[in-house]
Amino acid sequence: MLSNIKILPQSSFDMNGYFGLQDFISIPFYNYESNPSNYFNTKDWGISLQYGAEFSGSFNSSIYLLAISKRLGDHSLSARYTPGFQKEFLFSTGESIVVNDTTTQSLEANYTYKELFGLGYSYKINEKLSAGLTLRFFEQDFKQQIVKPVFGDTLYLVTETLSEKLNFWKADIGIDYILNDHLQFRLASINLLNFGDDAITEEFQGFEMKQERGAFLAASYFPDDFLNLNFIYETTNSFQISATGNANKFVYGLTTFHDQYQEPYIAGLVPAFGYKTSLFEILLSGVYYFSDRTTEADFSQFYEEGIDNIINNRYSFDKIVLSLGVNISSTEEKKVELIDVEIIREIYPTFYDMYLDKPFATGRVVNISSEQVKVTPSVNIEGITEGKIDSPQILVEPGDTINVPFYLIISENLKLDRATLSNANFYVNVTANQPDDQLQKATLINSENAWDGNVVNLRYFISKEMNFSMNYAKNTFSENKNILDSLPVELYEFEKAKILFNNFVKKMTYVSDPRASVEYVQFPNQTFELKGGDCDDLSVAYCSLLESVGIQTALVDYKGNEELRHVNIMFNTKLSPEKARLITNNDSKYFIRKNEQGKDEIWIPIETTSLSNYNEAWNIAAEKFNREALNNLGLASGKVEIIEVY
Amino acid sequence: MLNKTKSGFGWKVLSIALFFVASITAQEIEVNTFKGDVKYLPGTSEIWTEVNKGQTLERDGFISTGKNSSVQIKHSGDLVTIGEMSAVALSSIKKMTTDELLLALAMEDMINAPKSNVKENSVNTAVYGEKEGKEKSTDLSANDFGIMRLNGAKQLAENGLKESGIIFAKETYRKYPETKQLASYRIYFADILDEKGLYTEALGEYLEIKKLDLNKEQSSKIEAQINHINKILLNN
Repeated sequence: MLSNIKILPQSSFDMNGYFGLQDFISIPFYNYESNPSNYFNTKDWGISLQYGAEFSGSFNSSIYLLAISKRLGDHSLSARYTPGFQKEFLFSTGESIVVNDTTTQSLEANYTYKELFGLGYSYKINEKLSAGLTLRFFEQDFKQQIVKPVFGDTLYLVTETLSEKLNFWKADIGIDYILNDHLQFRLASINLLNFGDDAITEEFQGFEMKQERGAFLAASYFPDDFLNLNFIYETTNSFQISATGNANKFVYGLTTFHDQYQEPYIAGLVPAFGYKTSLFEILLSGVYYFSDRTTEADFSQFYEEGIDNIINNRYSFDKIVLSLGVNISSTEEKKVELIDVEIIREIYPTFYDMYLDKPFATGRVVNISSEQVKVTPSVNIEGITEGKIDSPQILVEPGDTINVPFYLIISENLKLDRATLSNANFYVNVTANQPDDQLQKATLINSENAWDGNVVNLRYFISKEMNFSMNYAKNTFSENKNILDSLPVELYEFEKAKILFNNFVKKMTYVSDPRASVEYVQFPNQTFELKGGDCDDLSVAYCSLLESVGIQTALVDYKGNEELRHVNIMFNTKLSPEKARLITNNDSKYFIRKNEQGKDEIWIPIETTSLSNYNEAWNIAAEKFNREALNNLGLASGKVEIIEVY
Repeated sequence: MLNKTKSGFGWKVLSIALFFVASITAQEIEVNTFKGDVKYLPGTSEIWTEVNKGQTLERDGFISTGKNSSVQIKHSGDLVTIGEMSAVALSSIKKMTTDELLLALAMEDMINAPKSNVKENSVNTAVYGEKEGKEKSTDLSANDFGIMRLNGAKQLAENGLKESGIIFAKETYRKYPETKQLASYRIYFADILDEKGLYTEALGEYLEIKKLDLNKEQSSKIEAQINHINKILLNN
């Protein structure tokens, strides 16, 4: 007879209802009953408290559960203490004794079943698959009064209490599989491993928890955030069906269950309603049974059928449970991922601020959070940048993948005489603290003399070593002080340019670039040191001299074809058109350009590779400009371009 | 309105830039006949020289005529006559299509404006036309090279080289800003733009001319032209 008793530890039923493998609330995951695989969505630390009351005629409240969880990378650990998970049965044994010939005393039996604590571990194998196990500790406390004869001069009958405490452990495993955003599955064992004490006392044998092995399969369908449908089927033929969801931080669920050991067929409902922020969660749930419950029970039924679940059985009462959850993160929750980075522009260290306007790399960033975020991309290149360089923030919608630019500013004082390979560290931040994600990529850094062939960027070479040019120009002017002192003020620019050029050409030789396959430009001091250069070098050096003394210059890019490409310069004499006759009788030798105030000013071109004298360099440049830029409409067709140095 | 004119150029520049460049080629230029004071300035030289009959001229040179003087230039078999008190860049003696004219006008804007926030010079030290009617009585001196250039531009137009004449005039306005005040010249070249169907460009020019000191006749003509072009532009 005793073998018929089925007192099983609880299986998939819990007091919050079943929410599936969602990530909008973590409280239900502390319920090992429906989460034997220890699946958790906490990012770092999680704490939960369940406080509830049972309506068994009176209002009996207690702490049901205290739990903690911790995420370590792909590993999740949890532990829970369950002081409220217990059920006590007090029965009359059917025997009684007469005390003092007047009072009858019934003998009692007391059976208490408790789950005290549990531990959980899971491992996230990949984004779709995780597996884990839970280990739970139970205690059974049996007491029974018996009548024992005492033989002496007289035969006495005395009552005595037999008692025995039995402990046991049980372990279950589970696998969770997220097929896609809409379909998820869980397969878990019921009572897979059980080990512990067996009752020694004959009277208690058969009342121990006897764990029938089984399994359950859960499937969840998530058509949208506001409606998730879940189904759990147990091999004992019990099942649960739930509808859950979340909207605007509110969480709700309604679970209905069929328990093989309870009546009616749908034994009850578990409604739940809660609210969640990024820090805390609160969930109010209840258990409502459709059958009438009384505190009186028939021992024979208990003896025949037993119970199948400590917290949910035919002797359970309606409950209300308030669950609190706190999620604490010592590191910021990762909200975006940096999938890949593409270097779209070579790095030329001399173009120190060019990458402030033109990104040198783009990254693909995905917003993995459920909210709109502002992403700050930043980069640090070892030995090239002074710390991390932040790019402007970009708004990313939840679930969106976008390209983000990485801008850069290079230290102006960087010296790099040869190309080098350096590691660029790319970061994406949502908050100012830890980066959400980062990637490292080897990046080629050209030498400081490297040039990308774009004439616009010669300005960087012009502005570099400006102190050298300024000193050189000052020394030259001091040598020609007499000439300058005798000039009318309006001819200063023109004559200064002339003095500088005539001094410049005396020291220079035109040398075509021996590194024709590599774009290489000398800084002005290098050109003077080497006493020559090609058209780029000479134009850079002369422009630098002029700019260092405040004469406005422009580069003239004769694009032609690649082999015939040429660059020379023009500068602003600051003369008005009416004063043109002060410098020439030939109006084809100058050009009128408006300044920033809209005033017309005379610009004249100079061929820096014509190393004879100023007038000849002017004439040659004017002829070339008239022919190619104007008469052949090179300016209009784009074959000739005037590029302001500043 | 000037901005609109520029953007109009931009489109046209794109559409015709590809086939244009080859059409302007070096051609022989020589003095066919001349009368009186005719001078020649070769290339980037600073010195004007007398011309001789049959003299071959460099294409990048200039030719100018004095009072009661003229010169007939042979250019690829065509004869171009330059009347008195005129100066012409020999590179301007060339036939241009309307598309080429548009491209050249666009280029004028490009070279004229190095910075984006330029404004038209509102203060102009006008040598001529300070008062209404003064322009007519101006006695042109041989040194007034800007006016000689405008005369040269007109001569080009009268010799059938209207497009070249417009470009040469535009360049003259830039290099000799006082000539912008000479309404009669500007009306002359604006009329050619109108005649060529370049309404946006012509309208821009008329609106600029309207700001000058004009006589009654010039004012009413400008008003009429502006209304006429506005109607055309509205109907298109």
